[in-house]
Amino acid sequence: MSKKNGNSSKKGGWLSRLFHGGGNQLADELLGSEKDRAAAADVEAIVSPMRQVVNNFLERKLAVGALCLLIIMFIIMFVGPLFMPKYKDAYTEVTQQSMAPNMRLMSVPKELRNDIKMIDGYGSFSVGLSNAGKVYVWGSTQLGTTGVDIGEIPEEVQNAKIAMVAAGIDHIVAIGEDGRVYCWGANTLGQYGTEEEYLASGKKENPNIAFFPQELADNGVDVANIKKLTCGYQASAILMNDGTLYLWGNKLTYANMDLFLAAGNMYDIDFTLNYIVGLNKKRNSIYTGSRDLYTMVRGNLDSKAVKMSDYLDGRRIESLTATNTGVCLLLDDGSVCFSGDFSLNAVPVPELAADEDFVEIAGGSYHFSGLTNKGNVYSWGQNDLDQTEVPKNTAGTAKLYTGSFQTYAVDENDGLVAKWGLKGYLFGTDNRGADIFQRIINGGRMTMTVGAIAVIISSIIGILVGCISGYFGGKVDVLLMRVAEIFAAIPFLPFAMILSAVMGQMVLSETMRIVIIMCILGVLTWPGLARLVRGQVLLARESEYVMAAKSMGVKESVIAFKHILPNVMSVILVTLMLDFGTCMLTESSLSYLGFGVAYPRPTWGNMLNGANNETIINAYWWQWVFTSIFLAVTTICINIVGDALRDVLDPKASVEK
Amino acid sequence: MGKYVLKRFGYMLAVLVILSFILFMIYSLVPANRAYNDASNEFKGMKNTLPAGRQQEYFDELYLKYQRMYGTDTDNKVVRYLRWIGLYPLYDGSYDGLLQGNLGYSYEYKKDVVDVVAQPMKNTIKINIFATILALGITIPLGIHCAVKRGSRTDQLVQVLTIIGYSLPTFLISILFIWVFCSKLHIFPPSGMKTPGSNYTGWKKFKDEMYYMALPLITMTFCSLGGMTRYVRASMIEALSMDCIRTARAKGLREKVVIYSHAWRNALIPIVTLVVGWFLGIFGGSIVLENIFAWNGMGRIMIQSLRVADYDLVLLMQMFYIGMSLLGTLVIDIVYGLVDPRVRVNK
Repeated sequence: MSKKNGNSSKKGGWLSRLFHGGGNQLADELLGSEKDRAAAADVEAIVSPMRQVVNNFLERKLAVGALCLLIIMFIIMFVGPLFMPKYKDAYTEVTQQSMAPNMRLMSVPKELRNDIKMIDGYGSFSVGLSNAGKVYVWGSTQLGTTGVDIGEIPEEVQNAKIAMVAAGIDHIVAIGEDGRVYCWGANTLGQYGTEEEYLASGKKENPNIAFFPQELADNGVDVANIKKLTCGYQASAILMNDGTLYLWGNKLTYANMDLFLAAGNMYDIDFTLNYIVGLNKKRNSIYTGSRDLYTMVRGNLDSKAVKMSDYLDGRRIESLTATNTGVCLLLDDGSVCFSGDFSLNAVPVPELAADEDFVEIAGGSYHFSGLTNKGNVYSWGQNDLDQTEVPKNTAGTAKLYTGSFQTYAVDENDGLVAKWGLKGYLFGTDNRGADIFQRIINGGRMTMTVGAIAVIISSIIGILVGCISGYFGGKVDVLLMRVAEIFAAIPFLPFAMILSAVMGQMVLSETMRIVIIMCILGVLTWPGLARLVRGQVLLARESEYVMAAKSMGVKESVIAFKHILPNVMSVILVTLMLDFGTCMLTESSLSYLGFGVAYPRPTWGNMLNGANNETIINAYWWQWVFTSIFLAVTTICINIVGDALRDVLDPKASVEK
Repeated sequence: MGKYVLKRFGYMLAVLVILSFILFMIYSLVPANRAYNDASNEFKGMKNTLPAGRQQEYFDELYLKYQRMYGTDTDNKVVRYLRWIGLYPLYDGSYDGLLQGNLGYSYEYKKDVVDVVAQPMKNTIKINIFATILALGITIPLGIHCAVKRGSRTDQLVQVLTIIGYSLPTFLISILFIWVFCSKLHIFPPSGMKTPGSNYTGWKKFKDEMYYMALPLITMTFCSLGGMTRYVRASMIEALSMDCIRTARAKGLREKVVIYSHAWRNALIPIVTLVVGWFLGIFGGSIVLENIFAWNGMGRIMIQSLRVADYDLVLLMQMFYIGMSLLGTLVIDIVYGLVDPRVRVNK
């Protein structure tokens, strides 16, 4: 009978039964509409136990939802990594540390799109300038825990007509048409401000700061004669056409800054991550002020390095463009060569046609983009964040600008032609600069694998011991149960930590360590399952079908594993499901405390490792929120499904526990 | 009964001995050599006063002296183990092990292990007693309510919430609570045990301590809500389905009497055993929680000594944990027999 019908006839049923006995209702049911009868037959038809279980399970909407979510999670975690071929466990990037979730790193503001004068970027944000002299900032503009939002452009800059801009890791320098130099952003380590201003703000003297030159602050700069304005990590430089160099910033990041402060007469200058590189008027070598730095060059990223003087062979260096680790030199014959370190998987410079030469090179954090005299655009260098994936529609490009991981191609009318590179991070970055989204997907796979294998180990031991113990009984039972009790008496977390710590003292490979952690988890969780199986087997042993099998002379081991085990399988499966959740949780707790799977291998536990004090929990919320959500959703789903399964498979069990 | 307890106790001791042996063996895998460290420390101090030729010889002598002192002058691990327990004499014929009251010496704190553990244990017990009382005060009424109103909206909601509650690891709940209560609402301090630099006395001191204890306490209570509520609910449901309840209802007793007098008493049996076992856990402390909140308890000491490889301390604490958990099982069995006359423990 359908549910609706059943409800509506409840009251009537009671009354009618009072007067007519059961007969009337029975007749009603028998003579009811065709549909009703069909429905009644449907429910009353005998269904197999398995089918009944499935039906019952499907009735629980919450559990079905949880199961779907769980399956989706599994698929994401195990298929997802296939779509991330560039993912590396140990990836770190100092300029991208702790960035908030942001997909707008490459979103040039609409007003700027057809009016680009210049674009620059070094770290998490980019700054652009329109021909009207207006400054735009986009990207991840909140600077860590400093509370500074670099996107808030000072009013005096908004009001002034700006001629040039450049961006450092956490500051922006802009030069007005009138020659005034404006700076804003973080100012903890002398990114801007004269010594006078610095001391006036109540800070202590700091010998590691090269202050903003007083003469620039007083007189401004001759805008017409500026050759280059560039910014490094926490330093900035203005190079004049006559070779004069104005340089200021944090000396600790640039060890050779003092030498450049003393040197004059430069032809070109740029910043790598740790050194300032310059070009003096002779233009035949890179000036760093230190010996053996950038003295070797190579024709392409993957070719062999040779001595600079041998390679140049009389040619002169036209310009120099630095990334974080290397320098690209554009020679006066239109060819390029490289000095410094480039990673093994860097994309090399493409072969140019015989009459094609580079006319302009722009450098990001780890990639270069070059424009040739035929108007073709190429990108090369590291491609971890899609920096070198040049789109097809770059025709008409006249100028190239680069952010840290982006390239912007601009045509002759100052309109944006194309942009490529890093769009942003969906879930932000961690304190090492790695993409949290990618680590969550890859870490999920590891977390689930560890949990699953631990459960498999524990279930093999548990089922074996439980079956043997329950079926054979007697001394075997006593002995095995005593062993189980010994294992059950071991306090889990402390013991696992100790084993893990002891292992840490030994020299083991990372994979070996993970395998051992799985084994520890598995070996410490089997007693519960063993007891459960034993209890079930004890019950089953007394049942009639086992008696029948015995009387037919079936071997004991066959009875135990072939006849009894399948009948207690349902209970075991439920326990396995719930144990899987527990093992994942335990692994996470262990890794969180630093005793489980260690960095660089990601797991959801060790990704939360950093969230251990209030400052980080509050300021870098994205570093724990997303990972926590994934972990929580997975374990909650596992428990809901496991709970529902237990109720469905064994209605009595839900009452007992 | 007495015989049964005695038998169980003897068996417990046997398990303790076996586990202590296993643990000791695990520890001896650690390449730490205390005698060598001490010898080289002392040697460094007097190195310059010795003639060049005799230096190695003198060091060996010193090393041997320390080895004999610590009982590591043999490679036989069983002998070392027996010395640690105090059943095998050291080189000079004396016994100095656990049985003689020598529980070990913490290298990190330069104190006897017992002295190191004393204060943290007090802290741990303090917070745990509060947490247990709070948790029981919430879960028992809630569990009973859900069992009586089984299948109602409230019950279903509580069921889902408790699943969520026990699916979340402690550290995650802690992070969440710190974020909500400290960063967003600014109600509680995120960590520590008292206002730094403060030197309060009397009432003010108590208030300060309670202020700092509040958040770890709330978190700890919250973490135990899920599992405990479900447990109470399940035992109550089982009790409610007993024949005696039907009889009581048939007699026409008021529902309140049926629930609180008849059903609850029956449900109490499994709950009491659980709670008694739980009380022993009080001494162990929560490793995760105490670390996040910088609560100077047993769990924190444990992790810290693990991080600095202070293995004498870790070994003793581990033995303590195992002893507690074994004692817990024993107590549960005995209490079960006491509260439920149907369970014949001496069978």
